[in-house]
Amino acid sequence: MRDDLVFGMAGSGGDGIVSAGEFLISSAATEGYHAIMTKSFGSQIRGGESSCRVRVSTVPIGTSSGMLDVAVALNWEDFLKFGAELPVGGHTIVIYDAKTGVAPDKLPLEGVTPAEIRMVPISELSKKSAGSDKAKNTVVLGLLAGWFDVARQSLLRSVLKKLSKKGPEVAAAAERAYQAGLEYALANPLREEHKLAPPKDPPGKKLLIDGNDMCAAAALFAGCRFYSGYPITPSTEIMQLLSREIWKYGGTVLQAEDEFAGIGAAVGASFAGLKSMTATSGPGMSLKTEMIGLASIAELPLVVVNVQRGGPSTGLPTKPEQADLFQACFGTHGDSVRPVLAPTTVADTFPVTVHAFNIAEAYQTPVILLSDQEIGQRKETVDPIDTSRIEIVHRLLPTAGDLEDFSRFRLTESGVSPLSHPGMKGGNYLAAGIEHNPKGAPTASGAMHETMNRKRFHKLDPLMRRRDLFHIDGNPTAALALVSWGSTAGICREAFELAKADGIAVKLLVPILLYPVAEEIYEEFFRSVKAGLLVEASYQGQLYKLLRMQLDLPKGFRSYCRSGANPFSPREVARELRNVMVALQRGKSESLQPQE
Amino acid sequence: MSATLPQVDPSWSDPKDFKSELKPIWCPGCGDFGVLQALYRALAAIGRPAHEIAFISGIGCSSRIPGYTTAYGFNTVHGRALPIAQGIKLANPDLLVIGAGGDGDGFSIGGGHLPHAVRRNIDLTYIVMDNQIYGLTKGQLSPTSKLHLHTVTSPHGSLEAPINPLLYVLAYGAGFVAQSTPADMPGLTGILEEAIRYPGFAFVNVQSPCVTFGEDDWQVKQHRSAMKSLASLGHDPTDRLAAMDKARSYGSELHTGVFYRDPAPPPTYDALVRERQRALGAAPHDVSHILDAYLQK
Repeated sequence: MRDDLVFGMAGSGGDGIVSAGEFLISSAATEGYHAIMTKSFGSQIRGGESSCRVRVSTVPIGTSSGMLDVAVALNWEDFLKFGAELPVGGHTIVIYDAKTGVAPDKLPLEGVTPAEIRMVPISELSKKSAGSDKAKNTVVLGLLAGWFDVARQSLLRSVLKKLSKKGPEVAAAAERAYQAGLEYALANPLREEHKLAPPKDPPGKKLLIDGNDMCAAAALFAGCRFYSGYPITPSTEIMQLLSREIWKYGGTVLQAEDEFAGIGAAVGASFAGLKSMTATSGPGMSLKTEMIGLASIAELPLVVVNVQRGGPSTGLPTKPEQADLFQACFGTHGDSVRPVLAPTTVADTFPVTVHAFNIAEAYQTPVILLSDQEIGQRKETVDPIDTSRIEIVHRLLPTAGDLEDFSRFRLTESGVSPLSHPGMKGGNYLAAGIEHNPKGAPTASGAMHETMNRKRFHKLDPLMRRRDLFHIDGNPTAALALVSWGSTAGICREAFELAKADGIAVKLLVPILLYPVAEEIYEEFFRSVKAGLLVEASYQGQLYKLLRMQLDLPKGFRSYCRSGANPFSPREVARELRNVMVALQRGKSESLQPQE
Repeated sequence: MSATLPQVDPSWSDPKDFKSELKPIWCPGCGDFGVLQALYRALAAIGRPAHEIAFISGIGCSSRIPGYTTAYGFNTVHGRALPIAQGIKLANPDLLVIGAGGDGDGFSIGGGHLPHAVRRNIDLTYIVMDNQIYGLTKGQLSPTSKLHLHTVTSPHGSLEAPINPLLYVLAYGAGFVAQSTPADMPGLTGILEEAIRYPGFAFVNVQSPCVTFGEDDWQVKQHRSAMKSLASLGHDPTDRLAAMDKARSYGSELHTGVFYRDPAPPPTYDALVRERQRALGAAPHDVSHILDAYLQK
């Protein structure tokens, strides 16, 4: 029995291999498994090669990355195009269509001997059962059900539910194709059994959702009633969901003519009193920076989502990377500060998005939500979220007394001043990108500029004490630390568990609040630390450098990073962590040697 | 501004009610003073309380204008008055929203927003103080500067032809297009009032000369003798093609008045948004159940 299986499948555009993955994960979710699915496509708009990874587990998981347990190739040419995204190793069971004419001992997998190779007449089974090779994906599902027992109870049901919309003949053909695959598998068992253990969680209780939908849903929950943006991969689904749903709650969506207008209209809506949001990805973020500066100095709440992709410039539009952190923290001229938050999973995208709105409203500031392509576009099972326990924060409105002699940027102890909006009698003021005095009148006074900068920076001080925005786990006195953020944190959480199971004393820190840097929280965490790793998907290791800028990190604590689109695996990180530990112990014993 | 708005509020019927305490930074003799005065008068004629008005600008000399009124003002960033103004109007369609700026702000750095504001037809008024020069940065070429003009960035004469904003906005399909000059204060006041009252996107190009960097022979004084009212020429403001024909002489003639006014204004975007919110939001929706649709049963 297996507790965890990673399936990787590839085919040509028309093969429906991604829909096979969709059926697999939705059935697994229905039955109560934890599951994550990522999709990957060639650069063609339509057609071309496509692939998906589906990981199904009886226990919570943080990533679908790592070596495949099961590889399905409808043809080798397409499969191999995905390279490191579909890695085959010595434990992998390889299933492929006999029609490709490749002999089992001639697989194009250099230097790899898979655990088991199954050449299956997938096309032939499809033709015989369904009358064409269009049901190859359904044959594959039957094979997986037969060999791995994965979601066997609901797999056929979910296929039929979807296909019955296309008519009874299509559904009947699909059922025959599924049975053909299933029977083939049962008649030709694997050398060793790899059946997936039954789920530990009850059926019918899991949500299945991707990070972009989760972000949009959370925004609505947080009270977002205005969205404007410009379509850009891989963030567009946020706008698509809101375009469909926001009306029901009295809001509106504007598809803007460009990225400037996308954020501009959202700034305007916030000035007019609504909670507002815009979303984009790297190239769009570059264009939006002027408005982030404007919202900072005008002290207007705004949530800006950046679903990061590979950069710079057009970069790798469909691949994840974590290289927009510097831009998120520092993009825009002048001394400006804005909180930067990063979700780490689809599930925590909900509370983190709500935090982003709450912080924006509470401190009258733009907040940057740094998601990434992995989180944004992967589908993940999520346990139901108890929304009744989530607090919603609204901006500080002026009192009747405030409005008698209103000073929009009045200097207060907290740095937060009541915020009026048009329509509010007595609250009239001039918002501006130009420096201003407490009344809002333009000024070029150096003294006033200093005062206002101090106000804008210090109002964020309470964030430095937000321990709930830092996930800390493990042995508090451990000398070894693992730090990660964003989607990579999901991988590191698993690596952390592997290391612990391996008997390594280690502690884990996952910051949700990336900026401003909460120095005390880090200092406290690093107090016991001698060595460790900060794992992130950027060439430079941007969080590591950011922390170095503001903190003295332990000497043995180093950056473990590489460009996006080169996913880490939990095993890899755990192995590296072990190396760091070994080096640390060797260093210790050396330092105990008597000095000459 | 929709026809259903309240009548003139007597406490907001004096132009002084819209004058703020800030003293304009403009040079003495700047055409923008005239625009500001005309706007005070137009707003007093309309009678909406200042706190129900949002006045949005970009960057430039003329973009300082919101601060000189008692309305809610937003002096934004260069070229972005229109997107921000549209966001405000959509967030609260009850507001009276006015955008303003110069020719560089509106036709150059912000030029990409103009066609979209026009086609979207959100109910707001956009006033451009067109002086054919960059004044705040001290005298460089603007998108409406004449060909061959000598400026500090074209010391040997400009090599590029100016944009024709009237013709462009008419071609984009704007429902209200007018031009005026501070040389004709009653005309300018009337046009601003009419533009603000027009239910839809209204564009007013004001020839507002730059007294410091503009051409000496093209100041308010010269406007007085050069301006020709479209009404006096027998122009029919309901005829878009006739309007485009007149607009072709932008840069050589100073036409004042309404070039085009849609005789049957279509519903505005903001009105359609309200309608859709009412239709789709009619049934109560509990946002705490927003994730229910994702449950895998």
